[in-house]
Amino acid sequence: MLSHPVIGYLVWAVLFGALFAWEGLALSHLSGTVPTLSATFRAIMRYPFGRWALFALWLWFGWHIFLRGWHFLLRG
Amino acid sequence: MSSSLVRQDLVPIVSGYLILMAALGVGLWLSRRPARAERSSRRGWPRLLRHLAGTAVGGYVLLMAIVVLYYYLVARVAGSFLDSAVTGCATLIGLSLPVFAGASWLAERRSGRRARARVSADDQAPAEGRPRHD
Repeated sequence: MLSHPVIGYLVWAVLFGALFAWEGLALSHLSGTVPTLSATFRAIMRYPFGRWALFALWLWFGWHIFLRGWHFLLRG
Repeated sequence: MSSSLVRQDLVPIVSGYLILMAALGVGLWLSRRPARAERSSRRGWPRLLRHLAGTAVGGYVLLMAIVVLYYYLVARVAGSFLDSAVTGCATLIGLSLPVFAGASWLAERRSGRRARARVSADDQAPAEGRPRHD
């Protein structure tokens, strides 16, 4: 898994850095026009379909991270 | 780029992105419209539980629809993919909803206790500082 080229991880690091930097800019209120991540999610969650889409995304993420390919210890 | 890569990776990622961005677009459009009067007069726990159940069921059904469509139209993923999706996501909901409801109940109880303490402190304060007229 760690045999990928370092540049691939660096790109993820830069993307996450950009995300945090943008959120920091929004939270600092230096620019009044940048919405925070929570404001963006609040806009999505204003109506049922948006809430369903976000919940489905959360479920998909949790399923992939925690449950997929996982077996009970006593199974088999 | 091979066609299987496009079908199995690019299409799901782009579709998920488009669904989320469409939801964001509609949400922003709705936020710019004048607010309507609240349809439901329900308040408190019944409203919260209805909201939670609606979100959980809606999200689960939406994800299952996407997973089933992906499985039958895009790629027959091996390793009991559908079983894992149905049971795994139901497990996550079964774990998270009671925890969320319990945490909400605790938070509500704590804030209620704090509010009651504040009210009783306010009731006592003027009585102690009130001038005597006898």
